[in-house]
Amino acid sequence: MKALLLSVITALSMAISPLALAQDNSDPLDVGMSGRYFPFTFVEKDQLKGFEVDVMNAIAKELGREVNYHTAAFSGLFGMLESGRIDTVANQITITEDRQAKYVFTQPYVYDGAQVVTKQGNDEIESVEDLKGKTVAVNLGSNFEALLRELPYADEIDIRTYESNLEQDTALGRVDAFVMDRISASQIIKDKPLPLELAGPTFSTIRNAYPFPDTEEGRALRDKFDAAIDKLHKDGTLKKISESWFGTDITQP
Amino acid sequence: MQVLDVTYMLELVPILLQYLPLTLEMATLGMILALVLACLLAVVRVLKIPVLNRFTILFISFFRGTPLLVQLFLFYYGLPQIFSSLTAIDGITATIMGLTMHFSAYMAESIRAAIVGVDRSQTEAALSIGMTNAQLMRRIILPQATRIAVPTLMNYFIDMIKATSLAFTLGVTELMGATQKEAAGSFLYFEAFIVAAVMYWIVVEALAWLQRYLEFRLNKAYSR
Repeated sequence: MKALLLSVITALSMAISPLALAQDNSDPLDVGMSGRYFPFTFVEKDQLKGFEVDVMNAIAKELGREVNYHTAAFSGLFGMLESGRIDTVANQITITEDRQAKYVFTQPYVYDGAQVVTKQGNDEIESVEDLKGKTVAVNLGSNFEALLRELPYADEIDIRTYESNLEQDTALGRVDAFVMDRISASQIIKDKPLPLELAGPTFSTIRNAYPFPDTEEGRALRDKFDAAIDKLHKDGTLKKISESWFGTDITQP
Repeated sequence: MQVLDVTYMLELVPILLQYLPLTLEMATLGMILALVLACLLAVVRVLKIPVLNRFTILFISFFRGTPLLVQLFLFYYGLPQIFSSLTAIDGITATIMGLTMHFSAYMAESIRAAIVGVDRSQTEAALSIGMTNAQLMRRIILPQATRIAVPTLMNYFIDMIKATSLAFTLGVTELMGATQKEAAGSFLYFEAFIVAAVMYWIVVEALAWLQRYLEFRLNKAYSR
């Protein structure tokens, strides 16, 4: 019974796979993003916007391909990449050792730092050392979670992982702080109605890039992306996009 | 505490409404398929059909025993790692499949309970006047079982509508996914989620009305 079922499924997969694998340059790029990471990828009145969208559109233009954006909860994005449903993820993916073991990355296109953010008026936390004994929110599966767990006093921090809305929970005082990249944290504080403030300096440099599956096609597409990023660096496009969103160039180290 | 941004809420209504049909489509298709599957499972269980019965018990045990989210991740992200062609299944199909299997496991049990719940004496009476098994089922058991099952089945449908909100983890932007993205862009959480809540509520209230009507119709023959 089981053997029969398995052979049916295998036969079925062989029948369909040529279709799934057929891919050439005229195909649109399939790009995954959360749509929930202001101001990198977010939705306003049903319009997908943000730094990531602008940069990806510029890269796609270089490659002469259209882009299909797939928005999914962050926890689903790597699953989509893994199962071949998208070509890459444009969601400020930080290069980490764990991820490098599994994926191939382009050169970084964003340089940033990890930042502690607290509710406005919270003077107890002024640096990452002050997180001892506090509750700290991070996004589920983000590298900030890994960064916190690597701290020598990590077991003294109550780390809470969130699928989304951790800014709100910090503003409500349910957690003492959250950790995110400095750029988006500053942007949220500047533009949005939540009572938050940056707490101290950044505590880790992060380099963000596009991950691709470690396969022949993945590596080939990665190389094309790298060439496109080089070009966009040289002609100033990346700088221009960055300045339009952040007033500063975050695409250079 | 800032006051509710009513203008923003009103702007959101037409935007979020566009995603309601997809939510309803996934739930309705899931419900129809789950009903068919649940009836089959229930019949196997009631008649204790050999081999199939064991398989059904295992099926129900697994799909009741694990969270829907785990099942969705298994289908959508797990299986394609082994069978690469399963990538061809899109998020909407995977959600409908997940809803179907998950809820059919529950529904099979309540349909089985409804069939078994019809008093045994009626079976004996029907057989004693020479009805065949098929006639017994069609004329005596099923009309009464349907009546018993309707309220619980409706409950599962309501649950299913709300369970579609998990589809966003599979990359399907339905009502809840759209709301979360709008909220993450505006940071007006309260406003956004109230609009979504009211939409779900209205839909479910309409169903509750349908349920009352159905119950009234089905009970007519039995009320004294």
